[in-house]
Amino acid sequence: MNSFLRRWRRSILLQVIGSSVLISIVVTSIVGTLLYSRISDGIYREKAHAAVAEAQSLADYTQSQLDITRYRTDLSLTKVISGILRVADVSPTTSVRETILLATPQTAKSSTVYQGTSNDVLISTIPDSMRKIVRKDFFSDPLRVKILYKGRPNQSIEAIAVGRVIGIPPNYIYEIYYLFPLTQQSQLIDLIRGWMLGTAGVLTLMIALIIWYVVRKVVLPVREVAEVAEKLTEGDLGRRLAIRGEDEMGRLAVSFNEMALAMQQQISRLENLSRLQQRFVSDVSHELRTPLTTIRMASQILYDSRGSLDPAASRSVELLISQIERFETLLTDLLEVSRFDARAAILETKDIDLKPLVLKVIDELQANEMPEFNFQGPDSEYRAEVDDRRIERIIRNLISNAIDHSENKGVTVTMAQSEHEVAIGVRDYGIGFTDRDAERLFDRFWRADPSRSRVRGGTGLGLSIALDDAKLHQGTLKAWGRPGSGANFVVTLPKNPGIPIASDPIEVIPSDQSSTLLPDFDSDDI
Amino acid sequence: MTLIMVVDDDQDLAEMLGIVLNGAGYEVDLVNHGDQALEEFRTNTPDLVLLDVMLPGVDGIEICRQIRAESMVPIVMLTAKGDSHDVVLGLEAGADDYMVKPFKSSELVARLKVRLRRSSTDGSNALRIGDILIDQVAHSLNRDGRTIPLTRLEFDLLVALAKEPGRVFTREALLSEVWGYQHATDTRLVNVHIQRLRSKVERDPDNPELIQTVRGFGYKAGTRK
Repeated sequence: MNSFLRRWRRSILLQVIGSSVLISIVVTSIVGTLLYSRISDGIYREKAHAAVAEAQSLADYTQSQLDITRYRTDLSLTKVISGILRVADVSPTTSVRETILLATPQTAKSSTVYQGTSNDVLISTIPDSMRKIVRKDFFSDPLRVKILYKGRPNQSIEAIAVGRVIGIPPNYIYEIYYLFPLTQQSQLIDLIRGWMLGTAGVLTLMIALIIWYVVRKVVLPVREVAEVAEKLTEGDLGRRLAIRGEDEMGRLAVSFNEMALAMQQQISRLENLSRLQQRFVSDVSHELRTPLTTIRMASQILYDSRGSLDPAASRSVELLISQIERFETLLTDLLEVSRFDARAAILETKDIDLKPLVLKVIDELQANEMPEFNFQGPDSEYRAEVDDRRIERIIRNLISNAIDHSENKGVTVTMAQSEHEVAIGVRDYGIGFTDRDAERLFDRFWRADPSRSRVRGGTGLGLSIALDDAKLHQGTLKAWGRPGSGANFVVTLPKNPGIPIASDPIEVIPSDQSSTLLPDFDSDDI
Repeated sequence: MTLIMVVDDDQDLAEMLGIVLNGAGYEVDLVNHGDQALEEFRTNTPDLVLLDVMLPGVDGIEICRQIRAESMVPIVMLTAKGDSHDVVLGLEAGADDYMVKPFKSSELVARLKVRLRRSSTDGSNALRIGDILIDQVAHSLNRDGRTIPLTRLEFDLLVALAKEPGRVFTREALLSEVWGYQHATDTRLVNVHIQRLRSKVERDPDNPELIQTVRGFGYKAGTRK
């Protein structure tokens, strides 16, 4: 039923055919009922006319016969009366009419009552109301009744009853009723009804067929357009409509195709541009590496002999070396970014325990300079199938970022896991960030406060790459921040690749903070 | 004195490499054009070739193939694209190792030292793997009296496996033992060279018996005769 409703909603063809069939059924049944009742009325009226005329002549004839038998004996009278009743005494189904002779109540009080029916017809066939009218007016209008038979309760035949009063010698009043069965008329009306129903059925079917044909003519091309448009949306930009004829549908196809072509050209132009740009970034990065190698080796030689240089030159060489390191990191990050842009980044997963990896990164960073570090998390294995190189980079980027902004107030690294997810949280209590900053946090080369000097000299690409790395694992990277209260970054990774994140083992809003400012960065908006 | 041939079209880098290598005690022969590389190689017969992948004229990979066709000399490639297909092509063309720019002088020198070292003959100078006899002193390989020519790296790789028959070596372990890498995880180096080694020593390289793959772990020397 539901699937039918869905098909109904999705198909104009079905809707139009359904509603037009419904309408035509309603219209034909109204017209048919009207016509039918007129026809059957006419037929009955005709029969009623005939019945009245025939009853009149029969009653006159009977009366005349009775008049002849005046002054004769009861015996002869009985004979005549049974003759009257026997006139129609054929079989009940084929009889032309039935006759009922009834004594009026006054007559019934006299000694001899001549009363009877033909063919075992029950007296109760004639309703009392009719008898009253007959007794009062000496005749009645034709009335439709059902003939009932003695001993056959299931059989009843529709008929028109006409009542008259006759006199039986010497001076008794009797009612005589003639019943004219409507068998033939009923058959005729049944036949007419059959024909009308058949005609209505055929008519409805024809209407449905015609509408189906007409609507199909219109709907099929529309459906085709819809299919091609879906394909175009899915990225199959080469799809086109077949052009048939020069009618409205043909013109639609032509202009649709023109639109698709324009779109395809525009998209491929943009794709080409962006590909060129990605190539350019990648090429530039690579081209810079050869001179950088020379510079690096040269600076190393200077550095090795800095003992013989004056203090200013010696310090300059040290700065040179550290800036070359920074330059190289920047190049590596740029290359990584261009790889993400070109969708050329490949995930090489291994089943590893993430905890030693986190501890290793903390250890390495701690060696340099350090605000207080804190590791929290149950002492267990945090196994997941991940690309360890990328995960290490995420952790390193998040912790470096936290150190940069912690103002030496300490950094807390937390780990937690659920059945299908592993999460690593990096919390600092430093400068934090505002809601407005939150929107741009993961933008490339974005700095929270341009006037603020860099402590460690990160590349400005760290968070952007961390987000890309997390997404590549189909994980999430969420950020929370509050000016003056610090920031919290939580990366959540699926334990098995390809399974979307369903729960958060670590809430991104720290438990010591109750507010709900939250940009969600797991969508594809970057 | 050990002679290193440096083939690089970037004259400044080549000169810098010269200074660094001279400083490390090597003699250096600089070649700036790919077309001259093979000729120079034949004339000077260097002990090691340092080769840039991207060169005008004949490119580095082709030069590598040509040199390997006539010599077992160690070849180290220089590349700016450590992640690209070039690296695998270079290794398949016969390069023993590669350095990704920008490298530190100390890294370069350390790596070249590993490639130039004579394998240490710790007592047992004769090893056997399957039906192959390894002579560590003469640095030669014999099967049924016939010598099988191997590069020094391939020889080191085979010796490393043959010294401990049955032990499973992870790729990382081989990288550290044979290439002198400390934390490297580039398993392409191992995979390519195992393939090259198999094609030389196995009777049927598609069904290796001497060097067996242990799925999910690494490689081991076959013990079957």
